[in-house]
Amino acid sequence: MRVQINARNRAYEFEAEPGEKILFAGLRARIDLPYECATGTCGTCKARLVGGPIDDAWPEASGKKYLKGAGEFLMCQCAPVAEVVAEVSSFVYATDPGACPADAIEGVVSAPRRLTHDVLAFDVGLDRALDFDAGQFMAVGVPGVAGLRGYSMVNFDRQARRLEFIVKRKPGGGVSEWLFGGAAEGARVTLFGPLGKATFHPSLAKNILCIAGGSGIAGMMSILARACQERYFAQFRGDFFFGVRTMADTFYLDELSAFQREFPERLTVTVALSDEDVPAAAAQKHPALRFERGMVHEVAKRTMQGRFQEVRAYLAGPPPAVDASIRFLLLEAKLTADNIRYDKFS
Amino acid sequence: MTKRFICRAGDIPANGMKECEAEGGLKLLVANAGGEFFAYQAICPHQDVALCEGLYDGSILTCHMHLWQWDIKSGSPVGLAETALERYNLSMEGDSLFVESKSAIDVGELFTGASEATLAKLAALARGEEYDQGAVIYGVGDPAEDFFVLDSGRVEFRIGRDERTSPAGFMLRKGEVFGWAALLDSHPRRIASARAVERSAVLRIDGRQTLGALEADPASGYLVMKRLSALIARYLAESGAK
Repeated sequence: MRVQINARNRAYEFEAEPGEKILFAGLRARIDLPYECATGTCGTCKARLVGGPIDDAWPEASGKKYLKGAGEFLMCQCAPVAEVVAEVSSFVYATDPGACPADAIEGVVSAPRRLTHDVLAFDVGLDRALDFDAGQFMAVGVPGVAGLRGYSMVNFDRQARRLEFIVKRKPGGGVSEWLFGGAAEGARVTLFGPLGKATFHPSLAKNILCIAGGSGIAGMMSILARACQERYFAQFRGDFFFGVRTMADTFYLDELSAFQREFPERLTVTVALSDEDVPAAAAQKHPALRFERGMVHEVAKRTMQGRFQEVRAYLAGPPPAVDASIRFLLLEAKLTADNIRYDKFS
Repeated sequence: MTKRFICRAGDIPANGMKECEAEGGLKLLVANAGGEFFAYQAICPHQDVALCEGLYDGSILTCHMHLWQWDIKSGSPVGLAETALERYNLSMEGDSLFVESKSAIDVGELFTGASEATLAKLAALARGEEYDQGAVIYGVGDPAEDFFVLDSGRVEFRIGRDERTSPAGFMLRKGEVFGWAALLDSHPRRIASARAVERSAVLRIDGRQTLGALEADPASGYLVMKRLSALIARYLAESGAK
């Protein structure tokens, strides 16, 4: 089915498969339509229907609160039923030639495993190889749950046949309940991606600062994996901050220690505990890591004082933590906006 | 030019900002930059986010959603921002700030920098018109006597006809000009069509009389013609890019 999107600067035409969401059809055609979460929560992909019928797959999507009037819809949730013309208010360009192409892909869930009482990791074995950038995510759909959820890749591999994800358990969260419920092993899931622009490339040639809250550490692990594979920290500094409530909420500490030991001179990893004092045993058990009490953005601000020159920051986690980090990085650390990268989820 | 009360200077904290509503309902962002006051559109031109929820350090305004930034004294884009903010002139009497509302000609991309006298002449030539949703303002082949400045609403602009139609740019912002064939000396016929996609208000201005006004003020005329040629080149490039 033909879709025409009128952007601020020009119009684009592309074909959508039956039932395919307009956003995904456009991204597949390498048109960089506006989006952030791609899963119905952020409202960034809203468009105005000029003509033609659309089918809204998830009318309860929370991102619909950003819509004004009956003519607006979320491109990530709606598929064309026949030829559709719609309008977006931003400038839209073709996807960068170097970006990893986004497409639909299927896979099988394996090895769901608990990392803490409310964080679970799982792998998806893909039907074909996939290239993605460190820091990107996939929109993942599981059987019996409406809509897709965005999960950042933890690993970084070229031509990956396996993706590793982490999920935080949310009461009533369809996908997390399904994964924690124990029936996930061997289930087929549908994915779309890779997505997201908070990506790391070694050609950046700057020091990197990562501030992650909770499961936001996923994308930072991928960035660390790529940076270490490329021996990036032989030349540039890396400062990683991982915020959780208590020691019981920490995970990946052995993996983080292993990265730090590879580049002890220029890579630091700090674990920030917001709700308890640092237990005396923490530093003994994990000598490669630093531990501090405080909110992760405050610990990062304190620790980085006077070292914000030539820095690119990557942020992930709960929106209040990301917003607080953006505020101090812009107003106090005086980073320029293009050196602050994040994908907003809520 | 009409003047409407918007707020008291004391309402805006030092190097702070606030969304204020002028008499008559116009909502604007008012910022205090070291005791100087500036007013801009209240909503981010990117994606409908209230700018008063953003960050402001007394010189740079940042929208918190995607970190578009502007210089507070000029509204010019900084960093990631792709467009300028629409600025409104303020005047102060005692502690009261007043906003001066401007006609579409004054904010128009084509006429920025033209002399006050010439802008006044053009304003006198302009006739306000309103079009309902779907109304055709002109079609291909119509005589091109007048050009238009969009005041409010949205106008779709297409070059060519039938199957050779190439959807081109959209008139999204107040002040954007279309129907500029009327400003060409040879008075060609329309090569594009313009249609209101929602209820729209436009200013209709006679092309021949405008050329007369610009000839009488060559400095302004040169600026306008330079912008006009850039505008035409942009549309040619975009319709050719299809």
